[in-house]
Amino acid sequence: MSASDRFEQLREQANGTASDASSQAPPVLTVVTIALSLLLVSPLVWLAIHASEMPTHRIVALVTGETAIGVTINTLVLVTAVTGVSILVGVPLAILTVQTDLPFRRFWTVTSALPLVVPSYIGAFAFVSAFGPRGELADLLAPFGVEQIPPIFGLHGTVLVLTLFTYPYVFLTTRASLLSFDGTVVEAARTLNHTRWEAFKRVTFPQIAPGIAAGALLVALYTLSDFGTPAIMQYDVFTRMIFTEQQARNLDSAAVLSILLLVMAMGILGVESRISAGRDGAYVSSGDRRPGTIRLGYWKLPATLFCAAIATLCLALPIGILTQWLLRSESTAPGQFTFGLTPILNSVGLAAAAAAICVVVALPIAYLAARGDSGLSSLPERISYVGYAVPGVVIGLSLIYLALRFVPFLYQSVIVLVFAYVVRFLPQAVGTTESSILQVDPSYIEAARSLGYAPLSAFREVVLPLVAPGIAAGAALVFLTTMKELPATLMLRPTGFETIVTYIWLVRGAAYQGQAAVPALILVGVSGLSMLVILRQERR
Amino acid sequence: MTDSHDDASGRAVAPASRRRFLALGGASLATALTGCSGILNNGGGSSSGAVSLADFRGSGPLVEQRESPSGTSIEDLPDLEGELTLYLGGGEGGLYLDLIELLERKYENFSASHRLEPSSDLANTIIEEYEADATQADVFMAVDAGSLGAVANAGATAPLPEEALSAVPEDFQDGQGRWVGIAGRARSIPYNTDQFSASEIPSTVQQFPETAALQGTMGWAPTYSAFQSFVTAMRLLRDDDETRRWLQAMLDHGITEYNNEFVVSNTVADGTIGAGFANHYYALRVQSGRPDAPIALAFTEGDAGALVNVSGLEIVQGTDNSELAANFVRHVLSAEAQEFFATRTFAYPMIPGVAPVGDLPRIDELNPPDIDLTELADVSGTVDLMRDAGVL
Repeated sequence: MSASDRFEQLREQANGTASDASSQAPPVLTVVTIALSLLLVSPLVWLAIHASEMPTHRIVALVTGETAIGVTINTLVLVTAVTGVSILVGVPLAILTVQTDLPFRRFWTVTSALPLVVPSYIGAFAFVSAFGPRGELADLLAPFGVEQIPPIFGLHGTVLVLTLFTYPYVFLTTRASLLSFDGTVVEAARTLNHTRWEAFKRVTFPQIAPGIAAGALLVALYTLSDFGTPAIMQYDVFTRMIFTEQQARNLDSAAVLSILLLVMAMGILGVESRISAGRDGAYVSSGDRRPGTIRLGYWKLPATLFCAAIATLCLALPIGILTQWLLRSESTAPGQFTFGLTPILNSVGLAAAAAAICVVVALPIAYLAARGDSGLSSLPERISYVGYAVPGVVIGLSLIYLALRFVPFLYQSVIVLVFAYVVRFLPQAVGTTESSILQVDPSYIEAARSLGYAPLSAFREVVLPLVAPGIAAGAALVFLTTMKELPATLMLRPTGFETIVTYIWLVRGAAYQGQAAVPALILVGVSGLSMLVILRQERR
Repeated sequence: MTDSHDDASGRAVAPASRRRFLALGGASLATALTGCSGILNNGGGSSSGAVSLADFRGSGPLVEQRESPSGTSIEDLPDLEGELTLYLGGGEGGLYLDLIELLERKYENFSASHRLEPSSDLANTIIEEYEADATQADVFMAVDAGSLGAVANAGATAPLPEEALSAVPEDFQDGQGRWVGIAGRARSIPYNTDQFSASEIPSTVQQFPETAALQGTMGWAPTYSAFQSFVTAMRLLRDDDETRRWLQAMLDHGITEYNNEFVVSNTVADGTIGAGFANHYYALRVQSGRPDAPIALAFTEGDAGALVNVSGLEIVQGTDNSELAANFVRHVLSAEAQEFFATRTFAYPMIPGVAPVGDLPRIDELNPPDIDLTELADVSGTVDLMRDAGVL
């Protein structure tokens, strides 16, 4: 207690002379972190090797062909639409659940975050089952003479499904910024005769924009790299083209196309960097005081209906459809298809390992990005996002190739598989860790140092406890996305090693669809628990 | 910008009906028969040794009143003993796990650990492993000849036993004995019987774009590997230019794209499209789930449209288990196992003593084109061509 008081005093003293030297990251950290991030992008070596095997004229023909241009446009349209709609859904939900007197706020907070645990391909199957031709809705309406319902397939259906199962990224990051920013600023604006809307536009929005951007970045990169959902919803995108080439064992074309996909990802990263550029001052105005609660008044009912509609589409619908698959499968499939405890333990074990390693690796990367001030210091953080944009199939191909050549004793071991998860999902942990580090006033560390702590122990004693919630949230995000991952898992797992998702893939392929319902529900249930971890952490 | 795309994809596809099929067909296929494997298996799968023909045979209207299969019986083969590592082409191949389990039940000292992935992924993995001198699999069981051919062409196979090769017609094995077919899948034209009669379906692929009745009412699945094998066959039989022209003529004639051929067949049964290009067994699966569905099959003659592709086996070079692998291959070609493929997956059996289900034409009544199935491995050139023609 007394120590923290002294921190306060020191902090006030230090505030006047906002020091520049002491907040710098030590050079060792920079070097280690850059080495780490290079290891993480090592799978991209495979892309370079295979792409370089392709003659230039074929590359030109491939990338300037009608198909490549068509799917590029389709992909950019899809990414823009999904990101835009996710913001339109996620930000209002965040504001409603943080800043208003919405009834059952806690409940709606949970339902708004949970859709992230539903794999989007399962969501897509559920939507097709419900709204497709000969689906539940069509059956329901048929007695009333409705013969045709509007098709769910195509761009609008793809945008709908992807948005509904990825918007929680925006919801969570926006919510985190809303919870941490200083409400007194809004009150100040209100006393200066700003309307609520003006106060939001001029005060709140600039403060939460980096949070929105961080979530939108994850949505955009997920959309860019997803193959399953657009394929089910019949919208032709870039990943479909990569998949076709890979299936035809045209690995050089697949590599060239994957590099193009990475270029698009870097474009998206560039846009996000610009939006977040102003975040340097973010911690300065962070504080414990929330702004006064907005009274919804007449808007209470529409707002509640909005939350309920989203929860119905994202949670009730897929769970209902899965339950129906379960009830309609009158009999069980043969012995090879029995679902036991082992795949569940395998999934949970892998996801826990990936989450643990991600938070350890994310810490130095996030610290450097938040505290370093040379151009180099944010490089590892930017690099870590690249893996998130690479389709799982490409990571799989690449790690098969690299493991066989450089670490044959690790080939088809869970170590390579977990490494693949870290490559793909690390940015989720980096993002949450970084934003919580940003909210720690650097003068705390200076204070600790001035009390004689060594740099590392100052970090351990002062910073770590404060950023623990961000770390836990990152771990939970990595955990639940690892639980859902299919393509790299199929390619890299040890032979005979089944997880929940490989089992679902197996029974669907063998046409025992009813058998997929239980594992899918378990997947959603286990991942749902990790989502509760995220939500618990946010109020310290 | 996206309009052209919506045209191609906005039409009806029915995974919903897949679900319904699964409930009726998939599940009942496995268990509806008294004494069938589904029930026995649920008893824990430990009942040792007692596996009869009824366990291998499927059920349902398509399977009733079949004559007994003839050929080498499983009882006449040496026992399977030891642990086999099997790379198994997924999707359709998932059904083959039932067969593996029957064999495991029959032989107490036999077990197979499997790796289930899409066939082309496994082909790639085997080639990579072979090149790195780190082969893992003993046997590769793939659902298309193209993947088998790719592995064979990379030199990654070991010789197959003579007994297995001699049981299967030459058309359905590699000329150099590197792979052998275990189940056939014929290209076919599923058509809606409310909209067309058999005589209205052209007998050569070349006539399809010229048939006015078929304008704007057909469907295909160009990303599906079986369709790509069909296009590869057309390239081999004619040439690239003619193939490209045919694909473009079909596009001009108006054809709807779906993402697999089960969906094509289901959509034909729904009447949303009148006919399509698909492997034969998908229509049988539709029928098995919906006996009254207005769907029937037509076959073209002597051209790529009549291609009979195979699921097949090869022994992987570098296995230290070649004796077990060879014996396993012989088991898969036994009369009982062939009865399994015929009645449980509706495939064409590969040995003459076993008949296909229902009223499917016998394999020697089909008129497949004369091509070496190993050459179907050139999918890469096919995908380039299809992309060039605007199909992919």
